[in-house]
Amino acid sequence: MRYAHLVLGPAGSGKSSYCSALAKHCEATRRKLDVVNLDPAAETFDYEPVVDIRDLISLSDVMEDEELRFGPNGGLMFCMQYLSNNLEWLSEQLGEVDEDYVLFDFPGQIEIYTDSNFVSKFINHLQTLNFRVCGVFLIDSQFITDVAKFISGVFVALSTMIHFEIPFINILSKTDLLNPIDRRKIGKFLEPMADILEEDSLLNTKWGEKYKKLTKTIASLVEEYSLVKFTALNILNENSLNDVLLLVDSAIQYGEESEVRTVDDFNQERNGVCE
Amino acid sequence: MMESEENAAKNAHSSEGSDRKPICVIVLGMAGSGKTSLVQRVTNHLYAEKCNPYVINLDPACIEVPYPANIDIRDTVKYKEVMKQFGLGPNGGIITSLNLFATRFDQIMKLIDKRKAEHKYVVFDTPGQIEVFTWSASGQIVTETLASEYPTVIVYVMDIVRNLNPITFMSNMLYACSILYKTKLPFLVVMNKVDIVEHKFALEWMKDFDAFQAALESDPSYSSNLARSMSLVLDNFYKNLNVVGFSAVNGDGVNEFFDAIEKCANEYEKDYRPEYLRIKKEAEEAKKVERKRELSSSTSRDELITFGEPETSYDIEDEYEEMYEEEKREYEEFRRQFNLDKKPSVNK
Repeated sequence: MRYAHLVLGPAGSGKSSYCSALAKHCEATRRKLDVVNLDPAAETFDYEPVVDIRDLISLSDVMEDEELRFGPNGGLMFCMQYLSNNLEWLSEQLGEVDEDYVLFDFPGQIEIYTDSNFVSKFINHLQTLNFRVCGVFLIDSQFITDVAKFISGVFVALSTMIHFEIPFINILSKTDLLNPIDRRKIGKFLEPMADILEEDSLLNTKWGEKYKKLTKTIASLVEEYSLVKFTALNILNENSLNDVLLLVDSAIQYGEESEVRTVDDFNQERNGVCE
Repeated sequence: MMESEENAAKNAHSSEGSDRKPICVIVLGMAGSGKTSLVQRVTNHLYAEKCNPYVINLDPACIEVPYPANIDIRDTVKYKEVMKQFGLGPNGGIITSLNLFATRFDQIMKLIDKRKAEHKYVVFDTPGQIEVFTWSASGQIVTETLASEYPTVIVYVMDIVRNLNPITFMSNMLYACSILYKTKLPFLVVMNKVDIVEHKFALEWMKDFDAFQAALESDPSYSSNLARSMSLVLDNFYKNLNVVGFSAVNGDGVNEFFDAIEKCANEYEKDYRPEYLRIKKEAEEAKKVERKRELSSSTSRDELITFGEPETSYDIEDEYEEMYEEEKREYEEFRRQFNLDKKPSVNK
C-alpha cells in the first residue's frame, strides 16, 4: 500500500510552506516522505520535489507559446488538462516503490476542481497505483476574523471537498502569524459550532436574522460530519505539525498494516523480557 | 421595458434627490463564467438607456477590456512589471498587483465620490481567478470600503453550461454561500449563457429538493450522505436567494438583472446600512488601538501585504523580543487549553 496526501487550498493559503515544513519535520524524525509539485505556476518553494510538473509542462511555456496565446488562467487549465492526459508520466516518475508516502502540492485555483473531470481522473489513477488518498484543505487563518468568515471557510472547504470522494482534513494555517488575541479567537472557532453561535452576536444582527436557518443547518452539518472539522496549524511548532500528521495518518490508516501486533506478540515480548 | 427602467431612474431621483448614492455592483465569478462579457453587456445596455455607468476594471491580467472603463487597474499597476520586479509567477503577480491597487483604494473612493451625482451604477469587474478576490486582503479591503459608503451588491456569475452536473452545481452554490458569509452583502446569482442552455433545470433543482436528489442519484459517480446533507443546507440558502438567467451574448434577462439589482440595493438600505455604520465605527476604534500598539512596539508590520515568503529571521530589538516571548507563552497556553478541551477525560 502507498499513501498520498493531497495538499489543497486557495492561492496564498500556505500550501507550499506546509509541504516544506512537513518535509523538514519528517526528515528530522527520520520518516520517509516525498513531495510532488503539481503547480505549473509555482515560483519558489524550499523543498526538493521528487517529481515536478514543471518538468512536464510549465505555465510560462504555455503562456509564451505564440500559437496557444493563453492568459494565466486558461494556461493553468491547459497544463492540468495536459497532466491528466499524461498521467503515465506521473506514474513513471513516481516509480514503483511500496510503502511510500507522497505529498502532492496542488495549484490554488478552485477552477481546476470545479471544471472538468480532472480530479476524479487523477484520484482514480492514484488508486490504481495502489495509493490510499487523503486530502488536506488549508485556509489562511488570518482571514478568519469572525464566525461568519469561519462559516465562509467551511463552505469553501465543502465546495472543494465535494469533488473529491476521499477523506478530508481541514486546516487553519498560518496561526504563527496571528497575534495572541486572534489566536485565542481561532481556538474558539474549533469548539462545537452550536456553542459558538450561542455566544456570538452574529444571529442577532439583521443579516444573521435573515440567514438564521442557513447558519443553523450548516452548524449542525459541521457537528454531524467530522469531515468538516478544522484544526489549527502553526508550522513553526513541531507538536502542531505532528498533530496534523497524526490526523492524516489515521485518515489513511498509515502504518496500520505494517505494524499489526497481536496479543500473542505482546505476550511473547513480555515473556522475553521477563526471562 | 424601457419605461420601467426610466421610471425606476426617475423614482430614484425624485425620492432621494441630490443625496442619491450610486449602487456599487461587484461582479464575481469563476474564471470563464463570463464576468467581463456580462459587464460589457450591462454597460452597453446602460449607455443605450442614457444612464451611463462608472466602470472599474480590477483584473490586472486581462488582455483587453471590451467596454469603456473609467478606471482600469492596468493603467495603475503593470502586472508584467510586478511579476518581473518581485520575481513572481503569474498568480503572485495578480495578487500583488491587486494588493498594490488596494493600498490606494482611498483615491478610488474619492474619484467615485466626485462623480456620484452623474452615475447611478458603479460596476466592478474582478480578476478571472475568483480566489484572488475572495481570499485575499485586497478583495476584503475593496468590498468593505465600498460597502461602508455605498449600497453594494455582490453579483455572482456562474456559467450555466458548466453546471449541468449536479455535483458541480452544488459546488458552485457552496462557493456562493462562502462569498455570502464572507461579505455579508446583498447577493445576486446570475446564471450566465442561457442562450446556450436554458436555466430552467437549475431553478427546478433549487425549488424542488426531490428533483435535485433524483439528479444527484442519477450521477453514477456519487452517492454520499454528506452530499444529501449539503443539499439540505443549500435548500435554506435558495429560499432567500435572488437569481436571474442572463445571456451576455444576446442580452436576455438584462431587465430582470436590473430589477434584481434594484431590489438588492433596497435590501442594503434596509438591512445592511445600519450594520455597516456600526462596523465602520468599530473599525475606526480598532484602528486607533492598532496605531497606538504600532507606535509603542516601534516595529511596523506589513502583514496585510506580504510579498512572497514570510520572514522568519527578524532583526529583533529587545523590546520586540520580550513581546515575542510573551506571545509564545500565551500561545502555548492556548494550545494546552485546546488539547484539554479535546480530551476532557484525561486527568493527570
